[in-house]
Amino acid sequence: MPATDIAIVGFAQTKSERAATPSEVQLLVPTVTAAIARAGIDRREIGFTCAGSCDYLTGGPFAFVSNLEAAGAWPPISESHVEADGAWAMYEAWMRLQEGDIDIALAFGSGKSSPSNPSEVWAQQLDPYYLAPLGLDPVSLAGIQARALLDSGKATERDFASVVARSRRQAAGNPNAQLADASASEDALLAEPYFRAPLRKHDCPPISDGTVAVVMARGDTARRLCDRPAWIRGMDHRVEAHQPGVRDITSSSSTALAARKAGYDGGPLDLVELCSTFSPQELILLESLGLSSAAASGSLSVNPSGGPLAGNPIMAVGLIRIIEAAARIIDGSANRALAHATSGPLLQQNLVCLLEGE
Amino acid sequence: MTDVAKEHLVMEHLVTLTYHERLTDNLNRFADNLLEGRIIGAKCPNCGRVFVPSKGYCSLCVVPTTEADEVELPDTGTVTGFTIVTPVNYYGQTKTEPFVYASVLLDGADTTLGGMDITGVTHEELRTGLRVKASWKPREERSVEGMSNRGWGGFGDVVHSFEATGEPDAGEDVYKEHLF
Repeated sequence: MPATDIAIVGFAQTKSERAATPSEVQLLVPTVTAAIARAGIDRREIGFTCAGSCDYLTGGPFAFVSNLEAAGAWPPISESHVEADGAWAMYEAWMRLQEGDIDIALAFGSGKSSPSNPSEVWAQQLDPYYLAPLGLDPVSLAGIQARALLDSGKATERDFASVVARSRRQAAGNPNAQLADASASEDALLAEPYFRAPLRKHDCPPISDGTVAVVMARGDTARRLCDRPAWIRGMDHRVEAHQPGVRDITSSSSTALAARKAGYDGGPLDLVELCSTFSPQELILLESLGLSSAAASGSLSVNPSGGPLAGNPIMAVGLIRIIEAAARIIDGSANRALAHATSGPLLQQNLVCLLEGE
Repeated sequence: MTDVAKEHLVMEHLVTLTYHERLTDNLNRFADNLLEGRIIGAKCPNCGRVFVPSKGYCSLCVVPTTEADEVELPDTGTVTGFTIVTPVNYYGQTKTEPFVYASVLLDGADTTLGGMDITGVTHEELRTGLRVKASWKPREERSVEGMSNRGWGGFGDVVHSFEATGEPDAGEDVYKEHLF
């Protein structure tokens, strides 16, 4: 648990797009500027900055360095970078704030998937001996996971369609969504052909470009900057075996553990934002968090933004989950929320953030 | 383990990743102008610094720059730094004789053009402060292939070199803040 109270006081994101013309840093400049403006601070008040991105995605060594220009690195600033989703950058900045000598920190995440073929790029994150040489891509892997989930009897293809239909409908209210359909229905989705059986195309995320930024502050600084800060009650991330073949891919023990370590006690939540990049993963994550029945009863709002199926800017999509949850606490429509981010093949590594209003 | 088994411990795994990217709008305009023999930069609306080429924003003020902020620059400038590279025979190296890699600060610019060849002086005479002017290739020989959104984007293949003009050298104050 944090040694000090830390809250989200500002945030911004770009609309997810299939292919944005601006460069990654050009997309970041207005996002970071807007997050800082929303927090009502001057960027020189920021004590620590952490960025998350992936050079494999950008396609150049040290590509992450120019992203820092969006934060304004002159006069020199204290900063760091993670080769991971912005959620992990936020985690590092949150840890840094706990040292107690600075009051404000900035984190951001960015990624443009459009220049590359994501199936080629993400095959490279698999082990280099057995899986990467096969060119095993994320969609095929997710198909294996979906099949395992069906075979386990925990879910049906209609359950997958139900996840997608709700995502499309809820995304209709999200101005940053890439895919939305206010009238999406399970029956229409189930009539679509398979893409990687048992997955249909809509069970998979879109390819997206996008950026996200978040400003955090400590204690009274947070209260001064924001009428109703989104307090980070805990944040934790846990990792499982790299090789998907040696774990139970129909559940996510690392998500369950991260939630416990983040201080989630199983009590009531208003909403959960899950980085369920493929529709079956939402069911897996809800079950692992003990939230399946609350979600089914409608008492828990699941991915009110539409989630990653509505927009999937890799390296930003996880942190977007956290700011989507925080936004609803800051605007008063929610009081307690869990947000989740993931990394690695088939939910290998998972981060959970517990947020509350005051 | 036998020696036979050890033969199988080596695995070749060659990976090719292909990226397709359109030039950003600011670099697209820069490239179009280079083909016409013009060099444009972007003047920050906040601090007035001129970036060549435009980055689409000022990296010091963190404000976007647009087409309205773009200015044409002369093709004359000052050498701010250089190295003379003695090529070694590595894969992809096409040069066989020592060659110049110089940074040129165009008059009125705040960023330098890197990797330029300097002609009109011997390698021994090359120095910071040397005044130079672009020696443009004929229109039909100019190319901007190879420009990219990465780094500074490059200058394409539009000039033979920057040629020493014979003017007196520029003073240190002209370039001391603009070495790279």
